[in-house]
Amino acid sequence: MRKKQFIQNAICYFLLAAAAVFWLFPLFMALINSFKTNGELLTNVMSFPTSLHFENYTRTIEKMHYLRSFRNTVVLSALSVSMMILFSALAGWRLCRTKTKLSSFIFGMFVFSMLIPFSSIMIPLYKVVLALKIKNSLLGLSFVYAGLGVSMAIFLYHGFVKGIPQELEEAAAIDGGSRMKIFFLIILPLLKPITATICITNVLWVWNDFLLPLIVISDNKKYSLLLSTNTLFGQYSSDWTAILSALILAAIPVIIFYALFQKQILKGIADGAVKG
Amino acid sequence: MSAKKKENLSLLVFCAPALMVYIIFKLFPAISGVFYALTDWNGLNKTYHFIGIENFVELTGDRHFWRSMLFTLKYVAVLLITANSSALLLAVFIESRPKGKGFFRTLFYMPNMISMIIGGYMWNFIFTRVLYYMADNWGMKFLDRSWIGDPKYSFAAIIIVASWGVAGYLMIIYMAALQGVPSHLIESAKLDGATSLQCFFKVTMPMIRHALTICIFWTLNSGFQVFDVIYSLTGGGPGRATQSAAINIYEEAFSGNIRYGYATAKSTVLFLIVLIITVIQLNLMKKGEQEL
Repeated sequence: MRKKQFIQNAICYFLLAAAAVFWLFPLFMALINSFKTNGELLTNVMSFPTSLHFENYTRTIEKMHYLRSFRNTVVLSALSVSMMILFSALAGWRLCRTKTKLSSFIFGMFVFSMLIPFSSIMIPLYKVVLALKIKNSLLGLSFVYAGLGVSMAIFLYHGFVKGIPQELEEAAAIDGGSRMKIFFLIILPLLKPITATICITNVLWVWNDFLLPLIVISDNKKYSLLLSTNTLFGQYSSDWTAILSALILAAIPVIIFYALFQKQILKGIADGAVKG
Repeated sequence: MSAKKKENLSLLVFCAPALMVYIIFKLFPAISGVFYALTDWNGLNKTYHFIGIENFVELTGDRHFWRSMLFTLKYVAVLLITANSSALLLAVFIESRPKGKGFFRTLFYMPNMISMIIGGYMWNFIFTRVLYYMADNWGMKFLDRSWIGDPKYSFAAIIIVASWGVAGYLMIIYMAALQGVPSHLIESAKLDGATSLQCFFKVTMPMIRHALTICIFWTLNSGFQVFDVIYSLTGGGPGRATQSAAINIYEEAFSGNIRYGYATAKSTVLFLIVLIITVIQLNLMKKGEQEL
């Protein structure tokens, strides 16, 4: 019996390890080859670099304006997600507490629109962006993200508020606090756990989104990390060391983010799935 | 003012910021899209005209669009199977062993963190450089084919990369569901002489039915919109062989043609098809769950 258990364990872990190798293979190959010279890469892609050519990275940082694109992406994500959170916490709280036909109509509208795929609104959305003259504006784009993201966030806040007892806010209201005051002093702090989840998922969404910035941002001074990586790929299509170092550079921020918030990210998915 | 009216007014005040951005950037585009689909709006002329269902008539004969639609359907169908079965397999293997859960979970989820633009370009390197090297130097001759350039294989390449990209996400959902299956059920089934496979299909599978519904729903929804992975891997080529519906619409509107009205007609059709398939899937799965 023991022996059988041992063999089962061995097979299981062997298969998992094989899958793990496959999973990391592209990342690993990109990493080791990003440190080679182009000549070295052409002769043997599988070998480790004989010496680490960090100049690939310094060259790429300059070519893709890494710091600028990084800053643009940070600004875009921060603006979009703060708006999304503020707007939808306000709305989600009142939508849950108000029991009128109007509130269920508004809430239903938000929920239903979660089904509309982005590709089917992108062209009319582009027209709106042109009409509002916010093409190439990071601030404008973050308003667009807020508009696209609020429905999901409102849905989550609405569900979370249901679980908060109403007595607290009622007591505060009797003491004469205005609703806005109650929101910022009592409700918003109570919403912290769900706010964290919403914040993390949406930062990742905005950070990794490609199609919307591809349409809305054409000025390379406003490029996000993905847009400048994409441009670099187009310009240096055979210069693999440049491209691979760009890919690694573009992946590093999210991998650090993953290392920091791994628990919340994975828990967020599992929780979200159970509720859906 | 009645109490109810007052409540509604206060509600509107609190919803105002959210409603504003939502109406401008989501609701209005969604509704006006239907209207633009009936016009000859393009990026060249300043004005546009109402042309009725002309766009849709033209669309019925648009070979490229229907081929991209068919490609998308094929992609979704195959991805449903490959991504979900590999995710479920990983989840079962990881959950069945006491050690290494956290490690493997972290590792397999990693591709989901990176945009598929980045992941796709990394795989692009694997397909255009590394596999040839392995074929030439390690004698793995079966790898020696044009993975990106030959439509026969580029479909497989896209599926491999897309499954790699989403399986970790689905795996997390399956793992959460598997943790909810009480172990005494499996043990008593085993005592009754059931084999591991029987246990899995007769006891575990029905218990994680809900997770299966969610994962299929999610794969369908994201699969129909596939853009990034194809864009970075094949760019829709060779020719238009691996063009998905979203890529076809994007090209119609933003590269070359700039026929916005016509492209909007295409996206309306895509939305309707996705909506119909989603509704059918949810109904079927709900019925299935109730029968258990």
